Amino acid sequence: MASGILTAPSNPRRKAHPWLRQSFNRHTLRGAVTLVVFVILWALVVAFKVPYLRLLPPPRDVAVSLLQSVASAGYWANWWISMVHIAVGFVAAVVVGVPLGLAMGINRTVRRFVFPIFEVLRPVPPIAWIPLAIIFWPTVSLTIYFLVFTGPFFIIVLNVMDGVREVSQNHVRAALSLGAKPRDVFWRIMLPATLPYVMTGMAVGMGVTWNVLIAAEMVTSATESGLGSMTWTAYTNGILPVIVVGMLSIGVAGYLSSALLRLLGERLMPWQRRI
Amino acid sequence: MSVITKRIFGEFQVRGLSHSYGGVPVLEDCTLDVPRGKLTVLVGPSGCGKTTLINILAGYETSTVGQVLLDERPVAGPGPDRLVVFQEMALFPWMTVEENVNFGCRASGMPAGEMRSRVASVLAKVGLADFRSKYPSQLSGGMQRRAELARAMVNDPKVMILDEPFRGLDAMTRSMMQEFYVGLFEEVGRTNLFVTHDLEEAVFLADRLLIMTYRPGKIREVIDVDLPRPRTFQVMATPRYNEIRQHALELLYEEASKAFAAGSQAAFDLVDGFAKAAGR
Ligand SMILES: Nc1ncnc2c1ncn2[C@@H]1O[C@H](COP(=O)(O)OP(=O)(O)O)[C@@H](O)[C@H]1O
Ligand SMILES: [Mg+2]
Repeated sequence: MASGILTAPSNPRRKAHPWLRQSFNRHTLRGAVTLVVFVILWALVVAFKVPYLRLLPPPRDVAVSLLQSVASAGYWANWWISMVHIAVGFVAAVVVGVPLGLAMGINRTVRRFVFPIFEVLRPVPPIAWIPLAIIFWPTVSLTIYFLVFTGPFFIIVLNVMDGVREVSQNHVRAALSLGAKPRDVFWRIMLPATLPYVMTGMAVGMGVTWNVLIAAEMVTSATESGLGSMTWTAYTNGILPVIVVGMLSIGVAGYLSSALLRLLGERLMPWQRRI
Repeated sequence: MSVITKRIFGEFQVRGLSHSYGGVPVLEDCTLDVPRGKLTVLVGPSGCGKTTLINILAGYETSTVGQVLLDERPVAGPGPDRLVVFQEMALFPWMTVEENVNFGCRASGMPAGEMRSRVASVLAKVGLADFRSKYPSQLSGGMQRRAELARAMVNDPKVMILDEPFRGLDAMTRSMMQEFYVGLFEEVGRTNLFVTHDLEEAVFLADRLLIMTYRPGKIREVIDVDLPRPRTFQVMATPRYNEIRQHALELLYEEASKAFAAGSQAAFDLVDGFAKAAGR
């Protein structure tokens, strides 16, 4: 690795922590400049009462509101509730979707039976499930879990199915020549070969998951909370800074869950690491 | 010292084998022997059906016409007695070099202690002892090839089948691999079937040279290569080597022209071959 060159310090005093060095380089500095310019523009828009944007809260109000939120237990409760919604629905989608995708990829009969249903249901946007889900499921939590489930589910199944069909014939043949039994071929060839597709399906699915979750929480916000419901309640109460705080929080939450998946992927697939 | 035990290796007999893809005959009445303990090289223009023949010998595909016998018994499906090294890299990317090499041992349920010593000795033999915990993508092309040879050898198969294993390596690495491979063969004397479209490589390695024809694929001539072993690259400067190569080249030229007329990759290989011949 190149770290040998980087960590050989000509001047020991300048030896910064690697994390700091990674976080504060030329690129992040440029990003910071853009953010500052954005906030200044925002403040100017508010100060000059630009038409159509007159109701926009000034950055200072949002900052104050953000600090108040961070200090309150209710705000973190909303974080927790949204995270649980995501976790339950998403994990269910993985737990059901991966085996189904594997079965559809490996077995032609399963594929022929199940695929037509997918062709019909897949193009339905997950949000379009909301009315039926509300009627169908007895509790709001179940409704939300189900809606979160539908978001990544189809994406994961189809990715895994494609992954199985992309498994190299040479790898399977090599394994058979080396004396592998069908069980070995499944666990030691099929599964690891499909793993990158599983992770891709999960990553793409995670993006959709937050879309669906926020919509579901907004629609059901009278009875169930979460970051989406927090944002919607702020809207119905006309508290504009909290709306912006809610939006920012959702953005951060989405980013964090994607980062978590990326980390998981690197853990599970060390052979894909760039060296 | 060597963990690879000398035992009776296998031999192939192929009798009147025919095979076609979608009505297009690829192999027709193909008859050949791969004798015990010899390095047999099958050479023919690209597209003549070498890989098809290999796939049938390995048991990946079956043919309805003709017979394939391994030690007098018909081949039915792939098995650990015939190890195939493929044209494209077929190491498992998600396993380290060591895991790739011990795959066969684990599949056959070998005791852990025996497996460890066997794998260690084979890795040392191919010079990859220090790279055992690397993934294939972290190795150079030549190292990947050596890892594949190690994976094939560790199971101690009756026959090793190699389908253009050095294709795609740069010229220098390729020469090194040829010399390395021929050394491995000479040490153990296992039955080997080596497939290539490169005539220089073929003559350098072979005990027996099988020249294959293009459309339909069958064996046109068998040449006994009586060059001395152990072989080193000096052998390529001897008159006998050139004599054999010239003879094979003439046979191959006719086949390659046929393939050329059919618009095959063989044309490019042939130009390649002539350029090399002229350069010497
Ligand atoms: N699975 C297949 N389906 C249809 N045609 C094939 C298939 N495999 C090989 N062929 C055809 O059979 C011929 C011989 O191919 P191959 O055995 O790969 O030749 P070689 O290995 O000598 O280059 C080629 O014309 C190729 O296009
Ligand atoms: Mg081939």
